[in-house]
Amino acid sequence: MQNNFLIALFIFLISLSQYSCVSKNKSKRIIIASSGKIESLDPARANTLKSLQLLNSLGDTLYELNNKGELVPELASEMPIFSKDKLKIIINLRRDVLFHDGTSFDSNAMKFSFDRFKRIGTMNYILGNKIKSIETPSKFQLIINLNKPSSSINGLLSSVNLTPISPTFYKDYSDKFLNDNFVGTGKYVLKRFSNEIQIIDPNFNYWGETPNNEGVSFIGYSNSSSLYGALKSKQIDVLLSNSIDDSQRNNLNLLSNNKEIKEGNSPATEISFISLRTNSYPLNNLNVRLALSKSLNRKLISKKVSYGLRRPSRSIVPPILKKSKQELWPEYNPVEAKILLEKEGYCNGNILDLPLTYRSNVPADKLIALTWQEQIKNILNECINIQLNGVESTTIYKNLNLGLYTAVILDWTGAYSDPEAYLTPLLSCNQIDGENCKKGESVFSGSFWGSNTVEKLFLESENLNGYQRLAKLIEIEKIASDSIPYIPIWISSQKAWSQNEISKPIFNGAGIISMSDLKFIDE
Amino acid sequence: MSRNFNKLLNYSFLKVSLIPLMLWIISTLVFILLRIAPGDPVDAILGSGANEASRELLRYQLGLNESLLNQYLNYIINILHLDFGESLSTQEPVLSIILKSLPASLELGIFSIFFAVLIGFPLGFLGLKNKGKKGDYISRIIGISSYAIPPFWGAMLAQLIFSVNFRIFPIGGRFPIIHSQPKITGFLVLDSLLDNNFIYLKDSLYHLALPSLTLGFLLSGIFSRSLRINLDKTIKSDYVNAAMCRGITKRKIFINHALPNALLPIVTISGLTIASLAGGALLFEVTFSWPGIALRLHEAISQRDYTVVQGIVIITSLLIVSLNLFVDIFIALLDPRIEY
Repeated sequence: MQNNFLIALFIFLISLSQYSCVSKNKSKRIIIASSGKIESLDPARANTLKSLQLLNSLGDTLYELNNKGELVPELASEMPIFSKDKLKIIINLRRDVLFHDGTSFDSNAMKFSFDRFKRIGTMNYILGNKIKSIETPSKFQLIINLNKPSSSINGLLSSVNLTPISPTFYKDYSDKFLNDNFVGTGKYVLKRFSNEIQIIDPNFNYWGETPNNEGVSFIGYSNSSSLYGALKSKQIDVLLSNSIDDSQRNNLNLLSNNKEIKEGNSPATEISFISLRTNSYPLNNLNVRLALSKSLNRKLISKKVSYGLRRPSRSIVPPILKKSKQELWPEYNPVEAKILLEKEGYCNGNILDLPLTYRSNVPADKLIALTWQEQIKNILNECINIQLNGVESTTIYKNLNLGLYTAVILDWTGAYSDPEAYLTPLLSCNQIDGENCKKGESVFSGSFWGSNTVEKLFLESENLNGYQRLAKLIEIEKIASDSIPYIPIWISSQKAWSQNEISKPIFNGAGIISMSDLKFIDE
Repeated sequence: MSRNFNKLLNYSFLKVSLIPLMLWIISTLVFILLRIAPGDPVDAILGSGANEASRELLRYQLGLNESLLNQYLNYIINILHLDFGESLSTQEPVLSIILKSLPASLELGIFSIFFAVLIGFPLGFLGLKNKGKKGDYISRIIGISSYAIPPFWGAMLAQLIFSVNFRIFPIGGRFPIIHSQPKITGFLVLDSLLDNNFIYLKDSLYHLALPSLTLGFLLSGIFSRSLRINLDKTIKSDYVNAAMCRGITKRKIFINHALPNALLPIVTISGLTIASLAGGALLFEVTFSWPGIALRLHEAISQRDYTVVQGIVIITSLLIVSLNLFVDIFIALLDPRIEY
């Protein structure tokens, strides 16, 4: 009786395992898994990396940043033409583009999308007050009138949030979001959408090259272990996630080194840093901030926390955007850190108590904080005492501008591909009193640091282009590195892992995976 | 009989009349707690990079600039009209979010209870039949371990063994990616049957199997231990001895007298377990990426989506309160010792 039961159980399990094999993806569709769900496919509403990834496949932008960091025309037929006073940008558009609903893409569609984003876009602050108006002098020509010269506008035009949508299809949604559908001009058309699963098919009327696969199924898992397990057990073809735990990242990296899977990396665009509240004791003292900066062993943190997979960085602008690997913040030097602290009266019985806040829902942040705390205990025990404080990220964001955190670990990815998208949110200030920012972006980043020189340089950079502009922006970063309102920790790239039967994932310069390049190797 | 029935009716009426009061207390507490909790939806939606003007605009658009009293009054009035509002982050009606995700949780809960009973009862009987012997110890060890295992660990272990290593079950989700799931009631197993689609039925059962079996196993300990203890106690009671003295067969005594009495506390336990599962098994839903109400609540809390949190808490509270009420009345009906 017992044996019969065991045999029946064995047969049941075998049949299930057979079933699991049968249910595998038989077509040439690629299954990509990522963490979380997609709340909205509306370019005016999308603000998560996952939704931006999908939107990038369903739509095109005027320009795109390639993986060399160069801006290349996509829906625009050529690079933008600036007027002499730099207050007018002329953009000529492609003439052979159709929306997924069959209507043609033209300057009116672009204006409709721009205006809609400006009106209802949740991230419309990225436009600032740069754009005054948009004109459509002809069907395939667009004129953007600026309030003031802006050289960052090129990068802004590559923002996925400004993906054009069909005015016909979105007629009833010009003032509200359409979360579960999308009609754009991209390589793929949306076949099915739910918060957890999205299915996209190739757009055979696409103006450019059609995708290398027969479509992509996008699935969201709610935790890192499921994502890791799904790739290992070959239930998915590609794993795309920057929120996967570092230990699992490391295992995937090892599997990729052993040629068991393939790993694709985007250019590094996400910076992690410690924001220091510079307007009050004890971090209003520059030497103390400098000492803290010199006491941070980035290499050790990268090794212990990310197994060396995240690159230690002494810069707040990704190298791909500033076209240089120049790192401006001071190097790790505990001896100098101690001298500086002694100079300010610390050490020898007077210990600097530093409350360090980290986001409790970001595992890497906690590990960074713990590693730095232990490192300080080992080398500067008699000078600094780091007190850790874990707070959920939403609470931190809410309280940053209230100045509740002396030092807090944060990260940042620019909303568009331009150094300004990193420098402005961290350093810009509208109202400066001495070196303290009373009102402005740096208040919302928790540093409360402001510099009139920086503001002047920001204005000057708007009138420059190319390397001259970059030099100006690097000058701004240099001032910041001398004043240390932030301590950069590392810079991370987006990663994707694919099964060996699938081609290696490729990213563009903005960290967006190219789904259309994914294909089965045997094809 | 009719007097008893009237009493039961009065008892039920009293219990039902308390529901609105309980719901009002719960909804008020949720409202206050959410506003006291640090962080707000604007920060969750815009992140840390938005400027003050954008924040203020969004706050205005979401109605968060109004006074707390106004927000509270609107909230209560809307609830009375069964209007839970729209999600602050997606603008989707909260009721629609609940109706989409509740069936997933209920389906998982029902199947888990089914497996819990299927595993727990035989284990309980096995223990009692082999009292003090090997079978009893095995039943006891399995029973105690099953409810001692932390659910998240059990779920991850099951996932690792059966999905990753043996590749028998899918790692998560409720339905295969390639098929579009049937949409009738939201209960996929039932929908597949109504649709006469046995492939979909197989698919939905295949996805449901691992989470429900694991949760069922973890819950089975409560059932096996309660059954074992209560049956043992009942068998030793005076009325069972009296029945034996009258020459009634052991089988009849067991089925007609001992078992129904031993099951009374289990009905209460089952009711409470079902009620707790109506609100979703949070850690299971997170581990298995099961798109149920608990996972939605978890996401809504992290996004400070007040309206969704409020709606889910009120609906699940209503379910829990109603199920408890049902259990209370059912027990009162079954057990003559209960006075009402």
